[in-house]
Amino acid sequence: MRSDGILTPDAARVLNFLGLLAMVGVLVGAYVYEFGYRDVPCTLCLLQRLAMVAVAFGAAMNVMLGPDPRHYAVCLISAIFGGAISVRQSLLHINPYFDTTTGQPTLEATTNGPFGAPVWGLSLYVWGVILFATVILAVGIVQLFRSQFAAAEGPQEPDRLARLAMVAVGILVLVAAAETLTTFLECGFGDCPNDGGWNWWILR
Amino acid sequence: MMTIAFALLALASVLLWRRVQWSWALVMAALILGIVIFFGDVDFSSDLGIQL
Repeated sequence: MRSDGILTPDAARVLNFLGLLAMVGVLVGAYVYEFGYRDVPCTLCLLQRLAMVAVAFGAAMNVMLGPDPRHYAVCLISAIFGGAISVRQSLLHINPYFDTTTGQPTLEATTNGPFGAPVWGLSLYVWGVILFATVILAVGIVQLFRSQFAAAEGPQEPDRLARLAMVAVGILVLVAAAETLTTFLECGFGDCPNDGGWNWWILR
Repeated sequence: MMTIAFALLALASVLLWRRVQWSWALVMAALILGIVIFFGDVDFSSDLGIQL
């Protein structure tokens, strides 16, 4: 396959690097929110973060190993998983016959407040729906350009892209390690608390 | 469980750093663990009657 299309393999790798930075930016923003508002993430929130790291991993695979439909599949599967969690959490707060404070359904209509403080008018789980839908759309569009899947030309990749790949995966390792540590501090090896308070397993 | 799921992702990232091709399998394992956690979090006995 020739790589003379609009999207060359190298351009696709740079694009994936930018996508990875976007996902990492959201995860860092979630940390700023968590420590700024002293609002520990709930189980569904952590599952969305898990999906975000997995989407970033798919992008990092494209940067490190070159664009491949299987790497995009990792992004898509992760985004569908994260989207399902976000939709579930949004619906829990929309449904008037479910009381989110008790976690039980009710026979009388009730008004559920959002979980956590809103960001730019929307709750984080609503942003999650938008984010994961955007990832699915973006990955679908990028995959239309099959010239990116051409075999690498020459025996060695350009130095700058090799360095970019190391930076991308380095960022991913740091983020995944930080998420593992803070999740351990919050949940230990058991279930995570869903009360939204400043409730750390390590302090209980 | 959640900690283990994130640890799998961290391990997968380290393996990707070493250019291990099958590192994505650990990501899938983390997502499957996530699905297990999700279904454990849903109280089906009380949810299903009204929500579906």
